[in-house]
Amino acid sequence: MAYASGYFKTDYAMELRLIETRWQKVSAAVLVLALGVFPLISPQVAIGIANQVFIAIVGAAALMLLTGYAGQISLGHAGLLAAGALTTGVLFKELGATFWVTLPASAVVGGLLGLVFGLPSLRLKGLYLAITTLALHFVVAFVGGEYETRRGFSTGILISPPAIGGFALQEQQHWYYVLLAIAVAAMLFCINLLRTRTGRALMAIRDHDIVAESLGIPVRRYKLLIFVVSSTMTSVAGCLLAYYRGFVSIEAFSLYLTIDYVAMVIIGGLGSMLGAVLGALFVITFPYVIEGLLRVLPIPAGIANEMFAINYAAFGLVMILFLVFEPLGLVGIWRRVRNYFLLWPYRQTAVGGGGG
Amino acid sequence: MIKRSQLMLAAVLGAFVSTTLAADSYVLGLTGDLTGRDAANSGAVADGIRIYFERVNRTGGINGHKVEVLVRDNQSEPSRAATDAQTFVNNEDLLLMITASLSSTYAPTISESKRKGVPVLFAGGVCPREVFPPKPDPLLFCTSGYAAETDVKFAVDYIQSVQKNATLGLISMAIPISRGSIDQAAEYAKSKGMKVIGHESAPPPTANYTPYATKLKEGGADWVLSWAPWVTQVKTFEALRQLGWKGNFISYGHNVAEEELKRIKDPGFLVFTTNGMFSDGQPVHKDVLATAEGKTKFPITYLNEGWVAAMTLEAALKKAGWPVNRAKLASAMDGLSVDLRGLRGGPITWTKTNHYREQLYYRVYGWDAAGNRIKTLKDWTSREVK
Amino acid sequence: MQTVANIAVLVAIYALIGSGYVLIYRVSRVLNLAQGELMMLVAYLLFSLATLFGGHPASALAGAVLLSLLVGLVLYVVLMRRMTGELVIAAVLVTIALGILLRGLMVLVWTGQMARPLEKLGWQNSPLALGHGVALSSVAVTTIFVAIAIYVGLFVFFRYTAWGVRMRAVGENPLLAAQRGIKLHVAYAMAWALATFSGGCAGMLLALDSGLDGTMAIIGLKAFPVVLVGGLDSLRGAIVGALIVASAEVLAIQLIDPLVSDVVPFVVLIAMLAVRPWGLFGTEEDIQRV
Repeated sequence: MAYASGYFKTDYAMELRLIETRWQKVSAAVLVLALGVFPLISPQVAIGIANQVFIAIVGAAALMLLTGYAGQISLGHAGLLAAGALTTGVLFKELGATFWVTLPASAVVGGLLGLVFGLPSLRLKGLYLAITTLALHFVVAFVGGEYETRRGFSTGILISPPAIGGFALQEQQHWYYVLLAIAVAAMLFCINLLRTRTGRALMAIRDHDIVAESLGIPVRRYKLLIFVVSSTMTSVAGCLLAYYRGFVSIEAFSLYLTIDYVAMVIIGGLGSMLGAVLGALFVITFPYVIEGLLRVLPIPAGIANEMFAINYAAFGLVMILFLVFEPLGLVGIWRRVRNYFLLWPYRQTAVGGGGG
Repeated sequence: MIKRSQLMLAAVLGAFVSTTLAADSYVLGLTGDLTGRDAANSGAVADGIRIYFERVNRTGGINGHKVEVLVRDNQSEPSRAATDAQTFVNNEDLLLMITASLSSTYAPTISESKRKGVPVLFAGGVCPREVFPPKPDPLLFCTSGYAAETDVKFAVDYIQSVQKNATLGLISMAIPISRGSIDQAAEYAKSKGMKVIGHESAPPPTANYTPYATKLKEGGADWVLSWAPWVTQVKTFEALRQLGWKGNFISYGHNVAEEELKRIKDPGFLVFTTNGMFSDGQPVHKDVLATAEGKTKFPITYLNEGWVAAMTLEAALKKAGWPVNRAKLASAMDGLSVDLRGLRGGPITWTKTNHYREQLYYRVYGWDAAGNRIKTLKDWTSREVK
Repeated sequence: MQTVANIAVLVAIYALIGSGYVLIYRVSRVLNLAQGELMMLVAYLLFSLATLFGGHPASALAGAVLLSLLVGLVLYVVLMRRMTGELVIAAVLVTIALGILLRGLMVLVWTGQMARPLEKLGWQNSPLALGHGVALSSVAVTTIFVAIAIYVGLFVFFRYTAWGVRMRAVGENPLLAAQRGIKLHVAYAMAWALATFSGGCAGMLLALDSGLDGTMAIIGLKAFPVVLVGGLDSLRGAIVGALIVASAEVLAIQLIDPLVSDVVPFVVLIAMLAVRPWGLFGTEEDIQRV
């Protein structure tokens, strides 16, 4: 395996490295190569799925920061994605703004909304915070719906593909590289943020806010900060989604989308950036996998309609199974497997060995 | 690590997709609301299309080639529809997309269709603005029965022809398309000198329609017009009757209308529609009944819209010939004329300037209490589409 | 006058649905977001039973009531019991996932078409004139009486029966309750059974009044602001919350603009969350605050 089998760090510089062993270097290289070659050898459909996964990774990473690391539960995620997409749509439709205007504008709107969404967190925790963010989701949805109806865009706003230096992003392959770069950048940003003082403060707040406060961590400031950071990222993901899909429609940001994202961080495994990636991958590809499975099984065409209900029910079932039997999520499974090989033939918990 | 497993997964998935398609058949993709809130309507459209082409394939296909319809469920959710459309347009063999769901799914479908030049047929849902004259989108076509503005105008004219000085109440569902049409109905009725007592709008899930009915009744309406999804129409009517309201209610006849008329049995409940009912007993109706028997979970009278779409597609594919590609099919659809043999009041005719149809034919059906059957209150009346 | 009657009906519906949320939350601190799907499931069960026992409406209704208790019980034993001791949000997510699962299964079994259990029972929903020009459907009148009966029953149960008191004790402090020998799992299971029953009653009555389709689950969610306004752990609060939300909704339809009625519950909710997040009758100590 690619991990060190013990704790071999001898100086601070080694602690700071993202890639620790030679094997990790090799597998990182293989990964980069595989990701680079993927769109050249895969069918369009697969590239399309990969692109959706990349956008979901950005959104899931943002939610992971907020919920998995800072312990703030939010059910307003779809509202924030909608805010980003809607900002893009409105600016494009009303002012004909380009990608270079709409992206930062979405980020700013997301940041401001993050401040608003974050304010209740200064007073509320847990379930009540979740409900408050849920209420804000409905506010965004209402504003978006009214805008679309009043302006006569009742079936949604169509957006032209973004042009980067005169080059229009239209083909799935081109999108692939752009979105891959953005997803990697988002991951690196999150991982590095979590390794700083801020990251450690967030985790302290998650684990015990009163202790965190008494240790001198300005709890309120950090809570607002992480709400703003997370919302900005989410809103950017919303903007990307709008361009990638080529349309904005407030109905696309229903409560189910929030559930999808919450499912990503839960199924992936709370408190791990790898979990956000795994969760995004799992939730996005799941319907396709079930569909593929149903297709190879001999199913008469007459019950085609039922096939989709099965797909829908299966998603609920898998989510339940994860929550009940594997609360640590995919990352928990991954760590168990890794530790098994890492320590083989011994059976014990690993010490150090690099987290996910 | 992860990405490698993703790679494998996607490769396996790709293999699925590419092996299941036979390139020597006409491949169409249908994205519809099969399990969502419009499932009773869209699901029946999908079933109609499926059953029709099953028979076509049994009897030798079109131009000697079979028709394969790939079906995906979008639950009337835009993001699912986007995924469906993307999957379809990226399938090189696929010639055309069929959309059978609520209008919320149209933007993503149109957006994807433009990317790859895939023609789209809107079947069973409302027709988007882009198919209407004078300048329809070259890739978008529609066979659906209803047409918001023309519909409500016909209904208002009908009410006026029955009762000169009717006081009109209006109810819509609080979704943009329904609200918009009923707003137009209000304006049109006022311009015709009718007394309009406001416009009620109920949100899609409403626990109790009585408050809306109360307002209509207390406003003194003797006619109520509704142009909305079926639930809103029929539940408002039933709530009105519970309040002891004696007036007449006219609403658009979706494909559930025939069964509903038979259930409600109220002479004051009328539907206007562009689809003939099976009670007409045309040969084509008998044909649908015989072909679809036991092949759908819906009452067979629901299959009207799906059958119309399938007949139109068959004609288009026949005209496009073999071999065929997306552009060739789209140009074959421009200038197509399909005789619907009594399923509708007239043919579907598409031209370069009109991807809807030039004439709409309406009929008004109601309940004949004495004869205990559905009766036609006004026979096919044509309206020009402008 | 008719407006008052309309409000009364809506209050009864919301209060019934709300009691389901409150019962589970009060005893086990879990917010059951599958409430809408559960009421829909019970309504569909009634529909199937009505189809089975066409001639015996009473046995179909009794069967549906029994099944509703059983569904709640089974859900707790099979599923929710495993979530004891997990994070609250994880338990809430399980209920969301349960909702998704149930909705898929219901489409699978009953399709998305409108089902009308009333016809299968062979009954008529005839209008009742209540004087002063007020009329309501018979099912609507029944709804009001059922809501009153269930609430009176619940109050009596919690106040005067041993198990009612035990369930309250569990809700207040599970640890102490367990140490006093109260079987926690039994109390939780009973809460789930009762909640499915009272929510299911709302589902059955709605289905009897105006039919049943896939949108019923969303109506369950619409009643959610009701319990937040009233306080998540107070049955009395659910009634008051229902009164506030239903009046606001009906009056908005009657006096302002029907379009406003859809957002009114959430406006009330946001106002309440800003001022008194624990609701009018909720327990203040209970709320987690920094």
